[in-house]
Amino acid sequence: MVTHTATQYPPPVIELIDVHKVYRVGTELVHALRGTSLTIRENEYVAIMGPSGSGKSTMMNIIGCLDVPTGGEYRLRGQDVSKLSQSKLARIRGRQIGFVFQSFELLPRTTALKNVELPLVYSRTPHRRQRAIEALKRVTLVDRAHHHPNQLSGGEKQRVAIARALAQQPDIILADEPTGNLDSTTGEEIMNIMDGLHAEGQTIIIVTHEDHIARHCRRIIRLMDGQIVLDTADDKRSPAARVSHPSKVPAQELAAS
Amino acid sequence: MKVLRFLLSVLLFLPHRAAALATNVATALIQIWANKIRSLLTVLGIIIAVTSIITVVSFVQGFGDYFTNFLRGLGTNLMVVYPEWIRGPRGEYLRRAEMTIEDIRAVDAHATAVRRTTPRIWAPATLEYGRQQQTGVTLIATSQFFQPIRNFYVDVGRFFGAVDVGNAAQVCVLGRELLRKLECDESVVGDYVHIDGQRFKVVGLLETKGSFMGDNQDDLAIIPWTTGLKMYPYARNYLGFYVEAADEAQIPEAEGQIVRILRQRHGLKPGQPNDFGVFKQDQVLQEFGRVRVIATSVLAGIVSISLLVGGIGIMNVMLVSVTERTREIGLRKSVGARRRDILSQFLTEAVVLSTVGGGIGIVLGYAIGFVASLHPKMVEVNVPLWSVMLALGFSAGVGIFFGIVPAFKAAIVHPIDALRHE
Repeated sequence: MVTHTATQYPPPVIELIDVHKVYRVGTELVHALRGTSLTIRENEYVAIMGPSGSGKSTMMNIIGCLDVPTGGEYRLRGQDVSKLSQSKLARIRGRQIGFVFQSFELLPRTTALKNVELPLVYSRTPHRRQRAIEALKRVTLVDRAHHHPNQLSGGEKQRVAIARALAQQPDIILADEPTGNLDSTTGEEIMNIMDGLHAEGQTIIIVTHEDHIARHCRRIIRLMDGQIVLDTADDKRSPAARVSHPSKVPAQELAAS
Repeated sequence: MKVLRFLLSVLLFLPHRAAALATNVATALIQIWANKIRSLLTVLGIIIAVTSIITVVSFVQGFGDYFTNFLRGLGTNLMVVYPEWIRGPRGEYLRRAEMTIEDIRAVDAHATAVRRTTPRIWAPATLEYGRQQQTGVTLIATSQFFQPIRNFYVDVGRFFGAVDVGNAAQVCVLGRELLRKLECDESVVGDYVHIDGQRFKVVGLLETKGSFMGDNQDDLAIIPWTTGLKMYPYARNYLGFYVEAADEAQIPEAEGQIVRILRQRHGLKPGQPNDFGVFKQDQVLQEFGRVRVIATSVLAGIVSISLLVGGIGIMNVMLVSVTERTREIGLRKSVGARRRDILSQFLTEAVVLSTVGGGIGIVLGYAIGFVASLHPKMVEVNVPLWSVMLALGFSAGVGIFFGIVPAFKAAIVHPIDALRHE
């Protein structure tokens, strides 16, 4: 909040402060994150990139409250969530985070509408159906509401998944390779939807290794060996300059890194 | 400590909101329907268990009703006393077992818990009407009190009265099955039949009683006992008699009085066995009770084995289901499902599965009872509501007991591992 008034930036949604994550694989300790600090503010559109083993999955899991850090602090909307119980984390996942997965993860034998309702069921939100329909409207898929996943195309499935992520009006949309299972045209459609959501004020984080996906984002964070090696937010150029040429800047930076 | 807290929260969660439960049940039914054959095979044990419960209980219940009806038909306060020579060494100390009309009159006069008595001579007889002849007909010689004591009434014509008994009149009353065998209709009343060569006037026809354990109760002829004594003089010293106690509660008292009076009259010393027998209805009930115990223990054996098999089947298939649906569990967790949500989902699924099995078992049990009822010699079977409830309760219990381990396994899967599961 202090930062907000001082710099006139929007308030932070995610604050990672010197986050460490150590796994034990057999007898070996794997240091997946080595003191990562990161702030993501409201309505940011961020791509997290990095080769496999760079720690981007771990970072996504921690940001998504699927896992807790072994060291450091993670504040989600100012609340320290790094030491919460499984049950509290589940609650936060349900209410504040909307996941979009590479392989959609829709429940089979369940209509699109029911799939979108799922987070609302677990959070015991009233007027589920109405809210689910509204979420489907935002991805322009209301006419498929009563279709089962096996009657939908890949793009439509991912749009249902996005609607499911939106249903709870989460603080952040966390998408893990959202176009990984789609052809490039459909992938572009999905990214256009993401762009639209961003335009409406949604905070979006996309984990990807594809440049053309990252180009949609306003900020790129590159991880290597558990540390941030690049963050375009540190770019001294004005945000406006980057917004007006979103496709050029990351490409140059990626080439440089 | 953490585990304990978790278990506690599970217990508190069980009576969870109806809406969530309904969602879980719907999910469970979808899953079961999606794996029809597997589900059916899984619940086979439960189906067998519940079918056994319903079938055995309904048969036992049916026979119970049957016995009760039979006994009620006999007259609720009825006892039968008959001379009985004890076989074996104990009997050798006795004189020949005898029972005379004086014994019966003494019981009538002195047993205060007895309302009334009527002699009974029982003999197979040959009966002729026109050209028809029936041998081995049950002939009962008794008094006018037979009707109320045996609760067996005439519905056409009349029973013989005190005057007929006093005069040793040649009158008789016939049962309906006998009538059928003689191939005649109700016009036989007023006509004459021959019983063991003697001419009897038919004065009435008995109502239909039906058969008991394959024994037709309507295949009989009744004559005054005085007339019977003339025909079978040797029966004079071997009379049996029916007793009607003052009321049902006084049956043991009446029995005690009868035993005391008869032992005294027969000069039996203490330690000597009775030279007569007393048949009471509760003996039939005891007999039946023994059958019921055997049936129940056989049932308990079948049911516990098949419930165990069924339960293990459910546990097995639920474990498979949890593994198959690990990604689904991961997804559910990522959209906000807590451990207890997942636990209750899979527990509900196990319970729904076993209860569906129970339902099929109930239907099968009903069907078996119904088919058995079609056989003419079979009693009317009756499925009591409590047995249906018991069966459903058992199957749900099995679902909970054997579903808890797989559900627990599902609940504790870490969401990251679950989402990564192939």
